[in-house]
Amino acid sequence: MDEQKSKGYFENYNNRTHVIGRIVSIMVLVMLVGAPFVIGGVIGAMPDLAAVGKGFLSVGLVWTVSSVVEFLIYTPMLGAGGSYLAFITGNLINMKIPCAVNARDIVGAKTGTPENEIISTLSIATSSLVTILVLALGVVLLVPLQPILQSPALQPAFENVVPALFGAMAYRYYRKNMKIATAPLVAMSVLFILVPSLTGSTSFMIIPSGAIAIGIAYFFYKKRAKAGKNT
Amino acid sequence: MPILTLLNSWSVYLICGVIIAFVAVVCVVFMVRAYRAGLAMGMDKTLMKRTITSSATFSLLPSVSILLGVIALSGSLGTPWPWLRLSVIGALHYETQVAQGAAEQVGMTTLSAAEMTPSAFATIALLMSICIMWGMILSALFNKRYLKKIGGRKAGGGGFGDMAMTAMFIGLVSAYIGSYIGELVSGKGLFTFGGSWQPLVVVAVSGAVMAGFVQLAKNKKFAWVENFSIAASMIVGMAAAVIVGLFAR
Repeated sequence: MDEQKSKGYFENYNNRTHVIGRIVSIMVLVMLVGAPFVIGGVIGAMPDLAAVGKGFLSVGLVWTVSSVVEFLIYTPMLGAGGSYLAFITGNLINMKIPCAVNARDIVGAKTGTPENEIISTLSIATSSLVTILVLALGVVLLVPLQPILQSPALQPAFENVVPALFGAMAYRYYRKNMKIATAPLVAMSVLFILVPSLTGSTSFMIIPSGAIAIGIAYFFYKKRAKAGKNT
Repeated sequence: MPILTLLNSWSVYLICGVIIAFVAVVCVVFMVRAYRAGLAMGMDKTLMKRTITSSATFSLLPSVSILLGVIALSGSLGTPWPWLRLSVIGALHYETQVAQGAAEQVGMTTLSAAEMTPSAFATIALLMSICIMWGMILSALFNKRYLKKIGGRKAGGGGFGDMAMTAMFIGLVSAYIGSYIGELVSGKGLFTFGGSWQPLVVVAVSGAVMAGFVQLAKNKKFAWVENFSIAASMIVGMAAAVIVGLFAR
């Protein structure tokens, strides 16, 4: 396929991805909001809408802000297909984002390219299917698995899945980008040491931490571009 | 009939199972379309297969920890609902917090089967759905426009866009590692160093194992280890947490 044809094919693929993505997002949304009513019909009680409204104001608003931030940050990372799937299947920070970033890194795809779009979609779809499969198997085998998975000796392992994931990812990314990584790591460490209560809002602290890292990356990008012009 | 028997009934399993099956089919459709598009655009088949293999191995361990979330919530909400929530849209850290907050809103002192009623369950379940649906709504409404706007600025990758995404991810990892340092130093009072050092040990061990894999993968004969390096580093890191846990007792 020549370059022109390939570009046209990708544009067509992308447009159809948006159409499918929108339709399935709305369908899943209707199913998820409808499910409590259908289950309510089965168990003989409907949701108390006044309590839902009050509950949303007290626990839901913070997650709404978080969702907006996640949408703005992660959509460009994941591309069209990957982000539709990721927002449908969830578990973004602890699985989907690192998974897609890792796949992109292994393959060497650049953000915003057709390759990145394909790799990201393949990665998120695979990851989601693995989770669906593991949970389905886990639910079927719940009775024999429960004592093993809940044994006190194994609890520290499962409580530390995210540190284990970020330890490995940190080595991969820090070693190539020490100049970018040092400042946000130091700034965040100092902040969490001085205001320990912030550990409960780590997912929000990604915003200033990311902003520092992007600011430094931009500085080096401009510096390199300037040096390139002068030579 | 006891509430958990109601919530674990076949009809509730069926309702949740149908939604999960629908989402699984959606994933397969996206996957097949992406694979075919990649082939049509001349992408290397081996690279796409590597993506699938590495993503599958990568996702295994986090999925097992998500299963623990299902088990944790099944004691109060029954098994099918947490199974649905954590297979579709939910996030491990989110579900327990919102379920607990929602339980308080319906007048329960804590999220437990002893206090659960059919009406409380239906209310909690709806609140859990409504609180986390915004990412999906924004995605359905603005994904195309947002990507078009951003794409126009960095046309075709390369440029600063790629560097910005790497920097954002570094920021994400730094925020979490910073929180582990903060927890150790000030978790039990400012500069008391009485907090848990387990997460930092896990970060260090997992990072060190990853360093070994990176060195190994430089040898072409062992390039394949890259596909499993994250999963293997995580297993060793998590095993370190078990060992630390044994000493801490």
